[in-house]
Amino acid sequence: MASAPSKLYADDVSLLVVLLDANPFFWSASSLPFSKFISHVISFLNSVLLLNQLNQIVVIATGHNCCDYVYDSSSPASRSAGTGKLSALSVDLLEKLEEFVCRDEKLLKKEPEGSIASSLLSGSLSMALCYIQRVFRSGPRHPHPRILCLHGSQDGPEQYVAIMNAIFSAQRSMVPIDSCFIGAQNSAFLQQASYITGGVYLKPQLLEGTFQYLSTVFGTDLHSRGFLQLPKSVGVDFRASCFCHKKTIDMGYICSVCLSIFCKHHKKCSTCGSVFGQPHSEAASEPNKKRKAGDT
Amino acid sequence: MPQVKIIARNFMDMVAALPAMKLDQLYQNAFICEAILRSLPPLAKKYVIQMLYIEEAVTTKSIEEWVLPDGLSKHKVAIDRLLQLRIFSEAFDRSSGTSYRLNPTFQSNLQKHITCGGVLPREPMPSSITARLPSLEDLAVFAFALEQWECFLLQLINSTQAEKMTNISPSMMRIFQRGLLTQRDKEPPRLTESGFQFLLMDTNAQLWYIIREYISNSEERDVDSADLISFLLELSFHATGEAYNMNTLTEVQRNTLKDLADLGLVKLQQGRKESWFIPTKLTTNLSVSLTDSSSRKEGFVVVETNFRIYAYSTSKLHCEILRLFSRIEYQLPNLIVGAITKESLYNAFDNGITADQIISFLQQNAHPRVAERVPSVPENVTDQVFDRLDCGNLILTGLR
Repeated sequence: MASAPSKLYADDVSLLVVLLDANPFFWSASSLPFSKFISHVISFLNSVLLLNQLNQIVVIATGHNCCDYVYDSSSPASRSAGTGKLSALSVDLLEKLEEFVCRDEKLLKKEPEGSIASSLLSGSLSMALCYIQRVFRSGPRHPHPRILCLHGSQDGPEQYVAIMNAIFSAQRSMVPIDSCFIGAQNSAFLQQASYITGGVYLKPQLLEGTFQYLSTVFGTDLHSRGFLQLPKSVGVDFRASCFCHKKTIDMGYICSVCLSIFCKHHKKCSTCGSVFGQPHSEAASEPNKKRKAGDT
Repeated sequence: MPQVKIIARNFMDMVAALPAMKLDQLYQNAFICEAILRSLPPLAKKYVIQMLYIEEAVTTKSIEEWVLPDGLSKHKVAIDRLLQLRIFSEAFDRSSGTSYRLNPTFQSNLQKHITCGGVLPREPMPSSITARLPSLEDLAVFAFALEQWECFLLQLINSTQAEKMTNISPSMMRIFQRGLLTQRDKEPPRLTESGFQFLLMDTNAQLWYIIREYISNSEERDVDSADLISFLLELSFHATGEAYNMNTLTEVQRNTLKDLADLGLVKLQQGRKESWFIPTKLTTNLSVSLTDSSSRKEGFVVVETNFRIYAYSTSKLHCEILRLFSRIEYQLPNLIVGAITKESLYNAFDNGITADQIISFLQQNAHPRVAERVPSVPENVTDQVFDRLDCGNLILTGLR
């Protein structure tokens, strides 16, 4: 269902849902220390709140095993006054973030060797979209929502299905997903997310200037974006993961009923139960090449 | 130089019209910088945040590259506004052309605000002293504000419906009424065209009109307008419903507060040893996006296709406003029933109210039940109102 246009609010009121990567495996190996990164993010969030009295910010921390809300600017509990050196937002956010990281650590299980230490992006995307749906249903007057992913961990192919579902749901609700990726390789999931939902994907060159990147590219409200030059994506990595082994593949078998992707031939589709016929020969399946992989 | 001349129609234009020295003085207060930033057009806000940590001047050509070609008109408006408010200062260099730089005081105040947060010059008083009375609860404060404001408005339009008089001195009242009422000898004062338009504006716009008159008049009372402006903007950042001690204010500020209490912006209370003031919703609304004049209260009017109006309100002020353009038929304990008739419309047009104002008043105050319907006011009603306006004009000019 298309999002109802905000009737009586000015055009530049926004609801910004920030998905903050708090994966300990990523941050322990990152060149930029988490504390410096957080100070950039907090300054950015303060600047967004500065621009309009009605702007709202929600921060969801994405951990390795769980994700949770760590800050909501519209909740009455978040009105604690700041000290002279720290803003009210910093005090609240840092407290909750510490509690979250402890909780995440407790849930740590022994992972099998060689698995990628990814963060639970699908979980936090889903939480963000649920929050936004609640805002839509709160009445005819609501701010324009958008999602910003501050992410660095690698993609976990096992989360492919959940993330794609979340992306399509965001597309239908007309909520753009922006991504500021601070990891080493590009993230295929986030590139696809920003491409499909009409958001912006950015991989900053200089991490010491994160605040400037954030405020220049991601700070403006949705209405003004129509008038600004924003970074365009060079190429999007459209590779999918197969549903059976969660491996990333370029070419595979597709169920014609539910469009599930498999890397090997199966007798029956595991998602919808349709029975497959015999596999065609290799020569006949050449023209059926799916979307090409873009340049990363 | 700014190319667009903006007519001083709202508070920010008044601020922009202050002399350079006074403006620079105002910018020393971080909250003023915040309020002024919030009043800028969206593109201007983006430019300020983007330039916040840039020390050198940026050439106009670079800034123009930030916008798409069809955004250039908005870009010009934004730059003009920034120059007018002296947030951007212009410099000319023969090699690189014109360039802009952010006002240093403004810049450092905002930087501090972003990293350290803003700290008000006064803290709320502990509840042990104010002894959290029921009268301090949010609803009671809100009700107080509404009551005072309505009372003031009724007195302003010299309505016979006003039950109690506020403490505003008659000379002050006359200043507010200037332009809104005319008086001919031996006749009771009548509302002028602007007076009617004033009544149909929403609360925020009305509030700004009154505050603007109050400030323009301040020089005659020996109060520095820049001080008054900074105090008012500072007040708007206080938390609603929290009590603040009066002894943190200067004499001038205390006198101003007494006037504001009569308007319903603050509530004054006396304890055993100390006295304090409580800002109401009206005060915090002062700094809400000054470019956005939409009302945030719940609507109460249902207009039906048979031209009847049902207003779920007990307010006398609403009754007076509806009487301007409709015929009031019944007044029930929670409901006002009226009808838009030919005569009532002609009456309204005679008094200088335009069809636009009537329709936008009905749309902005539409009851939540009908507000989601598109259109919230039935099309046949809007068509008829506009037609009557045209017909009325035709009659006046003698053409038919």
